[in-house]
Amino acid sequence: MDLGVLNTYLPTLIRYVLVALGLGAVMLLVYRVQLRFGIKQEAAAGRALVTPWVIGFLVFNLFTIGASLYLSFTDYNLFRAPEWVGTDNYADLFDISAVPLESASQRSSDALPRRHDEIIRVTVGDSGFVVGARESDFWRSMRLTVIYAVVTVPLGLAGALGVALLLNQKVRFIGLWRVLYYLPAVLPAVATALLWRWMFSSSGIVNAALSPFLNFFGLPAPQWMTNPGLSPVLFIIISLWGVFGANSVILLAALKGIPKELYEAVDIDGGADWAKFRHVTLPMLSPALFYNLVTSLIGALQAFEVAAFIPTPADAGTFLNWQIYQEAFNFRNMGMASAMAWILLMLIIALTALVFRSSSAWVFYQGAREGA
Amino acid sequence: MKRLTFTVVTVLTLIALTFSIALAQDPVTIRISTWAGVDEAAELQGLIDEINASQTGYQIVHEPIPSEYFTQVQTQLAGGTGADLYWMDQNQMAIASEGVFLPLSQCDAVTNAAPMTAGDLSDYYPGILAVNQNDGETYGLPWIAQPVVVYFNRALFDAAGLDYPQDGWTWDDFTETAMALTQDTDGDGETDQWGFINNGWPPPTIFIWQAGGELISPDFASVPIDSPEFVRGFEFYLSTAFNPELSPSREIISEQGFNEMFKAGVIAMFMGGAADDLDRVEGLDVGVIHVPANPETGSITTFAWNASTAINANTAHPQEACDALVAITEAIQGWKIVSPRISQASVEHLVASEPRKEANAEAIIAAAADMRALPIFGNYAEFDALFWSEFWGPLLNGETDLSVAELAAEVRADLEDTLP
Repeated sequence: MDLGVLNTYLPTLIRYVLVALGLGAVMLLVYRVQLRFGIKQEAAAGRALVTPWVIGFLVFNLFTIGASLYLSFTDYNLFRAPEWVGTDNYADLFDISAVPLESASQRSSDALPRRHDEIIRVTVGDSGFVVGARESDFWRSMRLTVIYAVVTVPLGLAGALGVALLLNQKVRFIGLWRVLYYLPAVLPAVATALLWRWMFSSSGIVNAALSPFLNFFGLPAPQWMTNPGLSPVLFIIISLWGVFGANSVILLAALKGIPKELYEAVDIDGGADWAKFRHVTLPMLSPALFYNLVTSLIGALQAFEVAAFIPTPADAGTFLNWQIYQEAFNFRNMGMASAMAWILLMLIIALTALVFRSSSAWVFYQGAREGA
Repeated sequence: MKRLTFTVVTVLTLIALTFSIALAQDPVTIRISTWAGVDEAAELQGLIDEINASQTGYQIVHEPIPSEYFTQVQTQLAGGTGADLYWMDQNQMAIASEGVFLPLSQCDAVTNAAPMTAGDLSDYYPGILAVNQNDGETYGLPWIAQPVVVYFNRALFDAAGLDYPQDGWTWDDFTETAMALTQDTDGDGETDQWGFINNGWPPPTIFIWQAGGELISPDFASVPIDSPEFVRGFEFYLSTAFNPELSPSREIISEQGFNEMFKAGVIAMFMGGAADDLDRVEGLDVGVIHVPANPETGSITTFAWNASTAINANTAHPQEACDALVAITEAIQGWKIVSPRISQASVEHLVASEPRKEANAEAIIAAAADMRALPIFGNYAEFDALFWSEFWGPLLNGETDLSVAELAAEVRADLEDTLP
């Protein structure tokens, strides 16, 4: 054995052992203290066993969440101590201007204040206005991320529901079909992102498939990755690939749980298939749809892998998570990146809260109604 | 039970501490982190094994980080868990201004270095060494500085009946030649061979510097991108990019690949680093020459990509790390091309390092004499991103109606806000 190498890594090994022993000691302490207070042995053992997880959550989650909130009010570049700047980072992010245009062709740089770049331009006839921001990259990314989430989540849910209904049919080789539809969910996101990138390249399989139509109408081949207008479309198409599998499994499980008696009741009432779907399937699936909606929405707003491996033109922006990563590790603006992350968190919380608030109108909990 | 637990904990702790103290007498381990991939790491390990075999005071251990290198290095340095030595490329060296690297003035192996050895700072090209300097201190020893040269496909020149590029050729000669080599060789009405290729690479600084312009003033006080010299250089650079008269469109490059197009024999001239493998592509007869000269100034200044090794300021063994730095830099300078040392600027040294470059060694050494490095400062990453997003990118991609001079005047102040 190379003792020099062992000497290098031994302190780390010792730390690991000491941390494990320390955690064991804390578990033991938690267990003993509970027994002393008269708590039953089984309950005390359960709490003692989850103690390492609780400590891990406090150190690696709660502390870091708190630290990022603090850092969002600082100027911090990783190497120097954070410098408190109050709300400057947030003020910079919300330094937005909307300016009327003298003419539709007026340049944004002539209309907007210095250091503000265009986010969006709206023209009606020969007039209109332009919206710019100091941190325009952030707002362009916000635009792309929100468009992506708002479009892909409903589409993904509808697609997943359709797949789940198909997989719930009594057809031959149903096991095989279920495996095939779930397969995308288990493939590595990076590998599929690279595959999509190849497929949507200007000479890729997508343009090759479209070429007969494009040639017929005399249209140029779409430049999926360099045309800012096509970027959201590209990512929306890509997103639908993985959504079907994971969401469909949950919906399929929920479909299996719908009592047959409910469908029989519709038959007795003379209802057709649509009535069964509208008045039985959808209400009974609504808790699963609600769960899928919440998790899909959060997932869509946190998209990262596709942004890392499929480039977007600057005008289109990128996904917020990728923008935050760039700000943090390329420019070492940890304070600004933290502020961006907190705005993203607020957006996720707001949209999730909206979904929760709306759920009372469309989510049907069987037990709740029965108990009411 | 209680006694058993106490006994186990005590025994384990004592064993671990005793073992650690006993091992403390062994040679010091110096860890080096690099971005080397599998093959490069295997070659580097050979050099490290030789150094380790000749040392009793320290042993070098290689810890390659082949992906997300700089992100991991930054977090290691910030967290105090880093290696003792780090490879840093020119852009990454900007973090030297944050005090994360050991000043080499504290290294006996550097201050007492014999002349013309890796520790002798006066033996480095000043412009390359400057990348590693901040506030009068030097923080890294360069181990490579590869100038951009022109690789040209002799067969395409022969087929077009053109002479090969020669010393003294200018921008005008380059443009004229590139246009003549841009052809529809199969007569289908579509161009299928181009004289040159530019997709953002090569860097525009080559032409800016040649024209007498500067990206950042030497005192880092201004960004004179609206000077006539800068504008002249940048305009020439733009004239070589996505220009159907002499270079392929971005869509064609995206489809066929940048380097791959040259290797496929459809690009006549390619500007690449001297260490690139473009002159040993099977089936191609490739020559190398320095970049064309500015017709007014006659300058053949070229861009040099460079990289160094720096010492973690928090190393527990600074003097052993210094010794290891000098030893490994000396070894790498005999392995990588082109060496950034003036005393090693010879065909013999280059060929000894990389025998496959023998045919073009002379041209590469000649180009090295005129190479320059980027003007790196602490906030360079933000400057660079802004320069790309506000100026270079929009002009290169045709996203602005403004001329080079007009846009330069517009964004200069924003760029100057990022200076130290």
